[in-house]
Amino acid sequence: MNLASLQEVFEDSLNRPDVSTESRLLRSAAMGSFGEFGFPSRNHENWRYTDLKPIVSGGFNPSSQPISSQQAEQANQELEHAILDANAPRLVFVNGQLFPNNQSCNQINGLNVTTQIGNFEHINHLQGKEFFKSYPLAALNAAFSAHETLISLDKETRIESPLHLIFINSGTPHRAIQPKIFIDIGASSELTIVQHFVGSNPAPSWTNSVTLINQNQDSLLKFYRFQEYHRKQSHTELLKTRVGRNAELKLGYVDLGGKLIRNDVHIDLAEPGATCSLDGVFLAMQGQHIDNHTRIEHSAPNTTSNEAFRGIIGEHGRGVFKGKVVVHRNARGTDAQQSSDNLLLSEHGEIDTQPELEIYTDDVKCSHGATVGELDAEQLFYLCSRGVNNATAKGLLTFAFANTILQRIEVPEVRKRAASIIAGELPDYQNWGGLL
Amino acid sequence: MNNTSLLQISDLHVRVEDRTILNGLSLDIGPGELHAIMGPNGSGKSTLAQVLAGRDNFEVTSGSVQFRGLDLLSLEPEERARKGLFLGFQYPVEIPGVNNAYLLKAALNAKLAANGKQEVDAFEFMKLIKDKMELMQISTDFLNRSVNEGFSGGEKKRNEILQMLMLEPQLAVLDETDSGLDVDALKVVATGINSLRSPERATILITHYQRLLELVVPDYVHVLYEGRIVKSGDKELAQTLDKRGYDWVKTEAEIT
Repeated sequence: MNLASLQEVFEDSLNRPDVSTESRLLRSAAMGSFGEFGFPSRNHENWRYTDLKPIVSGGFNPSSQPISSQQAEQANQELEHAILDANAPRLVFVNGQLFPNNQSCNQINGLNVTTQIGNFEHINHLQGKEFFKSYPLAALNAAFSAHETLISLDKETRIESPLHLIFINSGTPHRAIQPKIFIDIGASSELTIVQHFVGSNPAPSWTNSVTLINQNQDSLLKFYRFQEYHRKQSHTELLKTRVGRNAELKLGYVDLGGKLIRNDVHIDLAEPGATCSLDGVFLAMQGQHIDNHTRIEHSAPNTTSNEAFRGIIGEHGRGVFKGKVVVHRNARGTDAQQSSDNLLLSEHGEIDTQPELEIYTDDVKCSHGATVGELDAEQLFYLCSRGVNNATAKGLLTFAFANTILQRIEVPEVRKRAASIIAGELPDYQNWGGLL
Repeated sequence: MNNTSLLQISDLHVRVEDRTILNGLSLDIGPGELHAIMGPNGSGKSTLAQVLAGRDNFEVTSGSVQFRGLDLLSLEPEERARKGLFLGFQYPVEIPGVNNAYLLKAALNAKLAANGKQEVDAFEFMKLIKDKMELMQISTDFLNRSVNEGFSGGEKKRNEILQMLMLEPQLAVLDETDSGLDVDALKVVATGINSLRSPERATILITHYQRLLELVVPDYVHVLYEGRIVKSGDKELAQTLDKRGYDWVKTEAEIT
C-alpha cells in the first residue's frame, strides 16, 4: 500500500455526500500529516523491534464502507461468543462503526453516547501539534475514521456495572478498520469500561484503533483493554489519556491473540494528585508478535504511577516492551514504579524489554526493573515433590505468573475469559481440575 | 539386603559441582521407626533430604537407595511422592498465583490415582481437611491464599505438616521443621508429627535441636558429620549432644 494509492482511496472516501465540510477539513489535515511521516519504519527508535511490513504490504483498504446486511448477520454471530456478560450494558462496534443493533446502554442516567461530536474541546487538546508526528498511525486513523464515537459521563455520577465496548469485524478480508473513541469522565464520577477486541474470523484484517480519554478531577476510571483476536488478525493502537487533579486511572492491557500487535499507551498525569496503575499481560506464541510501548508522563506534583507488565513468550513467539516514564520539572513528589517480567518458554522465543526513566526534578521516588527468565526451579521442584506431574507443574507455574496480574482486573468475566485462554495454551491444563 | 526395611541407604556418595557432600552414608529404616538426624552445619543433612526427594542439582556418584523395594534414585520426584515419600522443606517456597487448596487437592488426587484409588471431589476434600486444619491451628481462609505467600515462618512449617497429614506418606523426611518456631508452634507441629506415627510409617527428623525431640521422641538418633553417619544411639544421644555439643563426636570421628 504505497502513499499514492492510499491518497487515491482517501480522496474517494472524502467525496461522499455524508461527509461534512468540517470533517473534510480535519481529515484532509490528518492525511497531510500522515503523508509527511508515512508508515513508521524500523529506523525510528520507537519502531526498532516491530516491522510493519506485513501490514503495509498486506493490501488493506482503510476506507470505511456501510455495513451490508450480510456483514451485519456475520457480526451478530460473532457477538454470541464476544459478549462476556449478557447483563452488562454494552456498545457494539462493527468495523469500527457504532452498530445500532444489539446495544444495551440507552437508559443509563448520566452516560451519553454520540457520533455527532463536532468540536469537542475536552478531547481536542489531547491531539496537539506534535500528536501526529509522535503517532503517525493516529494520523492515518484520523484521516480515515469516518465514525468517531464520544462516550461521556456527567459529573458526580457513579455507574456500578462495567460498560463493555465490543469491537468486532465483519470478516471482510483485507479491511483496515479505523475505530476512534473519545471518552470524557466528569468530575467526581466513576466508571468501569471493558474495551474488548475480538474476532474469530480467519480472514486477515488490520485494526488501527485510537482511544482518547479525558478524566476530570476526582474521577475514577477503570479501563480494561482486552484483545482476543484470531491469529490472522493484526492490530495497532494508540490509547492516550489525560488524568486530572486527584483523579485515578486503573488501566489493564491483556493481549492474548492476534498476529502483529502494537500498542502505544500514553498516560499524562496532568494535574496534582493524579494516580494511575497500568497492568499488562500478554501471550506471544508461535507466529505472534506482541509489542507494548508505554509512556507515562508525570506533569504535575505528587503524581503516582505503578506499572507492571508480564509477558509469556512461547516457541517462536516474539514480545517487545518499552516503558518510558518521564518526570517533568515541576513534578516534585512523584512516585513512579515500573516492572517488566517475562517468561521464555522456549529458547526459540524472543523478548526485547527496555525500561526508560527521564527525570527532570529532585524529590522523586522512582524504580524500574526488567526480568527475562525461565520457570523457577525451586517452585517446580516443590510442586513435583507433592506428586504433581512435571508438565502440569510447568503449566501451572506459567499460568500463575500471568494470573498474579490478571487477579487485579476487577471485572470477573474478563478475568475468567483471559484465564481460560491462557490455560488453554499451556501444557496439561486439562489436569488442572478445579483451578479455573 | 534387609527385607523388612522401608528405606535402605547404602554407601551413598553425592556431589555438587566438585564438592563432595555425602561421603559414604548408610542408613536403614524400618516401618514404625522414627530416626532423628543431627549434626553440625554443613554436614550434609539438608542434602540428604533433597536427594531423597529427587532434587536434580545434586550428582549421586555411587551408592544406592531402596525405598519399599524400589530403586528410589531412578524415580522422578513426583513418582517418589506418589509412592509415599514426603519431604517437609526447611524453606518452603512461596508460589504466588497457585492456590493452596488447589495444590493440596491436586497432590492428594495424584497420589490416589497412582495407587488405583478413587479421586476425591471438592466436598470430600473439605471433609478430609477440616479436622487436620484444626489440629494444625490453621484457619480456613488460608485455603484460598497462594501457596506460602505472605505466610510467617511458623505458618509455612504448619502448612508443611498439614500437607503431610493429607498425603499420609509411608516415609516423611522433615528437614528442620522445628527451626524458627516459637514454643507454641513447636507443640502444634509435634502434635501433627505424632498423630501420623504408626507401625507402618516411618519418619526422618532432621534437626539441630533437642527441643523437638522432647516432644517427638525418636527411636534412633544419628550424628551426620562430613557426609556420613559417625555415631548412632537412642534418645539419650540427643540429650548428650544438647549438653556437650558436637566437638567430642567430631574428635571421635577423626580418631576412627
